[in-house]
Amino acid sequence: MAQINNMKRFLQAVTIFAILLITTSPLSAKNLNEDPSEALVRTIAKDLRCAVCQNQSVYESNSDLAKDMLEVIRDKVKAGDSEASIRDYFFQRYGDYIYLEPTKSGMNMLLWFGPILGLIIGGLALISAFKKWKKNSVKVEKPKNEDDKKMQARIDEELKDIEV
Amino acid sequence: MKNSWKIILLLSLVIIMALFAGGLGNNPRDIPSPLVNKPASNFTAPILNSSATISLADHKGKWVLVNFWGSWCVSCVAEHPYLMQLAKIAEKRDDFMIIGVDFRDTVEGANRFLKRHGDPGYQHAFDPKQKIAIDWGVYGAPESYLVDPTGMIRLKHTGPLYFGWFEKIALPQIQGNANGAN
Repeated sequence: MAQINNMKRFLQAVTIFAILLITTSPLSAKNLNEDPSEALVRTIAKDLRCAVCQNQSVYESNSDLAKDMLEVIRDKVKAGDSEASIRDYFFQRYGDYIYLEPTKSGMNMLLWFGPILGLIIGGLALISAFKKWKKNSVKVEKPKNEDDKKMQARIDEELKDIEV
Repeated sequence: MKNSWKIILLLSLVIIMALFAGGLGNNPRDIPSPLVNKPASNFTAPILNSSATISLADHKGKWVLVNFWGSWCVSCVAEHPYLMQLAKIAEKRDDFMIIGVDFRDTVEGANRFLKRHGDPGYQHAFDPKQKIAIDWGVYGAPESYLVDPTGMIRLKHTGPLYFGWFEKIALPQIQGNANGAN
């Protein structure tokens, strides 16, 4: 009886602990005091590549250049520039390298649709290959004449011996 | 039919390998600048060690080498002896000048650098928050831009300038432009 009570208490404690963990998790964290324009700054900075680090966005990077770029974005957002014009400002200076997500134009189309095309071609090739294999595997011929039957019987006999 | 698949497979493997091999040789820092042959963005900034300001637009009519550097930059030390020589070349020519842009730096740091490695004598725009540098699409130091007399960027050099750079790279531009005008 005491053991069951202990178990109950333990479960209760675990439940309360779990609830506390969930409610205080970073998932439910919010910047309540954040400047409303900061959301736009974040959207823009998250899609700009920090030019001096590999594959990190301006928003995530701790490099000096990224921090100063963030400052430039912030200034421009405060000055009332639109998202498109700020993105274009960096594009004019750094080229499309600055976008983490390649633009859907020119040679970049190959990046966007090449893999899909490859998958389709590969899929078609696989299907035709499967079909061929299936066709080949059906060709198990049954013994037709007397000699073949005898041979098959002998093979079966020998196989039986091996298996036992 | 059987062989054609093998050929396709081999060919795609070769293409993929070739792409990888080509990619290995790429320098991720060597990003082409979209600013070449575009008008240079003007800047007006305080001159290092002076209360006056310097503006690029004031020097239209001359070829201007805009050299981005910082005392924190190791390659700038390697480049500096050449800049000292280039400054002497610029002094002798009336169609060519150098403006330094000291970015993401402190006045003390910059002065210590100039004292230690020599002061080439030309003026430096002071850009501690690298506003000019970002405006010019700079991502590292040293980086240099050659601006023509009409204010167009004619070439960008990423990394230290080297001895003979002016004669080999800049002069053909300058003379080519002069010939074109005549």
